[in-house]
Amino acid sequence: MSYLSSTIGRKQVVGIAGLGLCLFVLTHMLGNLLVFVSPQAYNEYGHALTSNPLIYIAEAGLIAIFLGHIILALCLSMKNKAARPVKYAVNAEGEKSTSFVTKTMKHQGIVILVFVVWHLYTFKFGSFAPEQFEVQYGDVVMRDLYRLMVEVFANPMYVAWYVFAVFILGYHLSHGFSSAIKTLGFSHPKYDDKLTKLGWLYSALVTLGFASQPIYVFLSNQ
Amino acid sequence: MSKVLNSKAPSGPIEDRWKNYKFQMKLVNPANKTKFNIIVVGTGLAGASAASTLAELGYNVKSFCIQDTPRRAHSIAAQGGINAAKNYPNDGDSTYRLFYDTVKGGDFRSRESNVYRLAEVSNNIIDQCVSQGVPFAREYGGTLANRSFGGAQVSRTFYAKGQTGQQLLLGAYSSMMRQVALKRIELFERREMLDLVKVDGAARGITVRNLVTGEIESHAADAVLLCTGGYGNVFYLSTNAMNSNVTASWRCHKKGAYFANPCYTQIHPTCIPVSGDYQSKLTLMSESLRNDGRVWVPKKVGDKRAPVDIPEDERDYYLERVYPSFGNLAPRDVSSRQAKFRVDEGRGVGATGRAVYLDFASAIAKKGEAAIKDKYGNLFAMYEKITNENPYKTPMRIFPAVHYTMGGLWVDYNLESSIPGLHVLGEANFSDHGANRLGASALMQGLADGYFVIPFTLGHYLASNKLAKVDTNHDAFKASKLECSDHLTKMLNIKGKQSVDSFHKKLGHIMWEQVGMSRDKDGLNKALDEIPKLREEFWNDVRVTGENNFKNAELEKAGRVADFLELGELMAKDALNREESCGGHFREEHQTDENEAKRNDEEYCYVSAWERNEGDKPTWVENKEPLEFEYVKLANRSYK
Amino acid sequence: MAGTGGKNINLKLKVWKQNGPNDKGQFLNYEAKNISTEMSFLEMLDVMNEDLINQGENPVEFDHDCREGICGTCSLVINGQAHGPDRGTTTCQLHMRRFKDGDTIAIEPFRAKAFPVIKDLVVDRSAFDRVIQSGGYVSTNAGNAPDANSILIGKEVADEAFNAAACIGCGACVAACKNASASLFVSAKISHLALLPQGAAEREKRARNMVAQMDEEAFGACTNTGACSAACPKEISLENIALMNRDFAKGSAKNRS
Repeated sequence: MSYLSSTIGRKQVVGIAGLGLCLFVLTHMLGNLLVFVSPQAYNEYGHALTSNPLIYIAEAGLIAIFLGHIILALCLSMKNKAARPVKYAVNAEGEKSTSFVTKTMKHQGIVILVFVVWHLYTFKFGSFAPEQFEVQYGDVVMRDLYRLMVEVFANPMYVAWYVFAVFILGYHLSHGFSSAIKTLGFSHPKYDDKLTKLGWLYSALVTLGFASQPIYVFLSNQ
Repeated sequence: MSKVLNSKAPSGPIEDRWKNYKFQMKLVNPANKTKFNIIVVGTGLAGASAASTLAELGYNVKSFCIQDTPRRAHSIAAQGGINAAKNYPNDGDSTYRLFYDTVKGGDFRSRESNVYRLAEVSNNIIDQCVSQGVPFAREYGGTLANRSFGGAQVSRTFYAKGQTGQQLLLGAYSSMMRQVALKRIELFERREMLDLVKVDGAARGITVRNLVTGEIESHAADAVLLCTGGYGNVFYLSTNAMNSNVTASWRCHKKGAYFANPCYTQIHPTCIPVSGDYQSKLTLMSESLRNDGRVWVPKKVGDKRAPVDIPEDERDYYLERVYPSFGNLAPRDVSSRQAKFRVDEGRGVGATGRAVYLDFASAIAKKGEAAIKDKYGNLFAMYEKITNENPYKTPMRIFPAVHYTMGGLWVDYNLESSIPGLHVLGEANFSDHGANRLGASALMQGLADGYFVIPFTLGHYLASNKLAKVDTNHDAFKASKLECSDHLTKMLNIKGKQSVDSFHKKLGHIMWEQVGMSRDKDGLNKALDEIPKLREEFWNDVRVTGENNFKNAELEKAGRVADFLELGELMAKDALNREESCGGHFREEHQTDENEAKRNDEEYCYVSAWERNEGDKPTWVENKEPLEFEYVKLANRSYK
Repeated sequence: MAGTGGKNINLKLKVWKQNGPNDKGQFLNYEAKNISTEMSFLEMLDVMNEDLINQGENPVEFDHDCREGICGTCSLVINGQAHGPDRGTTTCQLHMRRFKDGDTIAIEPFRAKAFPVIKDLVVDRSAFDRVIQSGGYVSTNAGNAPDANSILIGKEVADEAFNAAACIGCGACVAACKNASASLFVSAKISHLALLPQGAAEREKRARNMVAQMDEEAFGACTNTGACSAACPKEISLENIALMNRDFAKGSAKNRS
């Protein structure tokens, strides 16, 4: 049996990909925080990233990781579903119950996927009427991502959806982060608790970091 | 006609007997081993170790168990430990001392040659189990740890917390599974042996019921190994598992295998007392607890105060008082009877008054709660789950319960029964424990038989006998199949009013009252009167629900209870016949002034091996195997 | 305070009845009357069955044997919980003092594709045997063992190996896992043998083979929910699963075929 057709092999790939995405999400969040510095810093950061030719390799890698994570997780999820064809009539409560977050990882994943597609459409490809969203700093003309963002976040419904989605993302990571590390084979009574707490801390930071931007922008517009 | 049986035990210096005998036995050439098919019934310590070892040697093994997997055989529940004469603690142990203690512990009713062999291979067992990865308890330096058990003044018991049987069985089971993967063992789970098939007088196969489909199946072989455990469940309440039964042994007995010393029953002193009529089984609290627990009752009759309110000077630590040199580690039979005396005096404790205390307060004060928890944690947790009392805070309440049966099918030195080719191993045979088994010796015996005795003696049997080729098309198999299905149909068709369990409970009540811890002539005669009546009532009024061709627990139980109803009679008969007290057999008529068992070596220094007729109405003839004691001189057994 | 006699309670039982593996199965309602709170859960079922037999009905089939929590035969999912509400407890050790008068108790079999129902509450757990056959042993034959004390094993390591080896193979981990994963069972055996020097030689090969068989048996994958360990009567630690993951990865990396 090959590594990639085994459950553990697949889980480990899902876990590694997940940890890679964790890193990406963290840097993305930190980049977003430039909104609190200045529109120029925000736009120049975006421009620096997109004008670097390496961006295509990075994006291809990111897509591969993302798809790997989704596809293998779906395969496992299907195997898991098939492993219990008849469901229990009563669900466990109390000490022996399964936490809500672990039970709904797949559903959270779907919400995140929808969000990501929409998000890319809005902010990456959806710069409708591009000439309206250009700005010049010194000699360089670049995309005025800041203005686009401010206009998008003027819509309270969009802000609400965005905040909801990043909350789900954080929720997903709160289990995903420590779970991935365990799947890779690291667990010990000495650090298990700390690892779980680190997972929560990380998820909370990511959620708050992401959510702060639309809320800040929306409130500043009022 | 009563026969005198030949044990085939070798003579000569005892320490050379097994060695010389092994050399004299015939061997089967390695290439020929694959031509022999061996049936092993039961997958406890004896069965699993025998099956894996024979498969390793190259025999084709078919293994049968009534459980859903071999790993659940009742050896799994053995708690305290396994003896071996390693003398790791340097406290004066030796093969000879283990042999001596076991013969004396068995109250001089076992066969010296067998016991010496057992002591001799005991060390190999520990080595073998360690190599399999059995996680025995260790000292900080990495060497094996030992503890003491009843009936010995040295520490020779190896253990894995209070789950030694589990770990040893899983070791043997894992070896077995390895052979299953190598296709040397074919596994038949959820099969119950219903009959032994004999061809030309020799055991050549078995008839089993598939407990899932109800199908009756035939299996042929060159020899049959019976490793099906003891018959303590004849008492209904015992520490045995619910499915432990005598059926496989009994059906062989019906086919001519002699049943030896059926009355030797071990009543274990430390079990959780009965709490009500619904009670389905009794739970043992390992004898190892007596290393640190002190047994006591109040000095005053009818003292109903809580144990903590009874001051030290009003407590009677009776084992320490009566047996100062062995104290709380007096052997099981002795300790059980002492508990019964205290209760009979009206000094029993708890709501029912049928219990004594096992108190850890002084051990906890001396060694700390953590040390006690490390040694006995799982036992304490088990006690608390059942009774809802915390034994770290309040003493355990314990009372004797039926635990082990020293009797069983008669076997010679080769472990071969009176039917050629039928070998009997472990608790199912009668051979090594005499009238009382010492703690931590059952695991030793089961594994000795399976790993280190049967591989040699079975080869000798196969090499010495020209066996005709027989398969399941032989008429004997067809006849047996028919007989088994008729028996099942007969029980299903009675459609009476009383459940199987109700008969079992009634039988158990008779057995406990009349054939239990203490027996007398009147009681035994009463049992001999009542049991056949109960059996007749069973065959007229039992209600067995369900159908044959399905999983049907009621039908399984019915067959077993039917056999217990015959066994019970034989036990009473044997107990009445044996006009002496020895080990687990205590006749009130035969006791010393100090209420200790009084043997009658003049007349009863022999094994009673009962031969049953073949018909439906059982009658028995007593055959005798005389016992000789060349090394351990017959003496009054004293633990004072 | 128990040991002083319990009280009696009445219960409504909703019990799964299924006549063989191909039957669809359904819940039937029973009453259990005058149940002493000192009884074990299985003794309560004994009483119910005895009543059914007396009424001329077929009793409910359930697996049980030692009734002291070590053989691993008893199963049952009681109100959604494998082996009932208490931690570190098998069904046979669960006592009725845990329930209140008038309670309704739903009793289901362990449900998993790898554990097909045989009848009513009895399931086939032979998949576990096949997993052990694929590598849950040390390859040693009787007769060739060195002296037991020639292999030194520190107390801590021996204790840790024991804790993993304490698994009773009941299948509650599979029953409790939302994915019906057998990871806790399989990893307990892998850990037990991996931690000891005797098992070290075959360590990674064992992990690969046992995981392959586990996947073959239609168990699901582990998603680190921890429900298995919470339901485990012997409270086997999740740490074992991490060890299995590690050994499996190492074994796969080193594998030459």
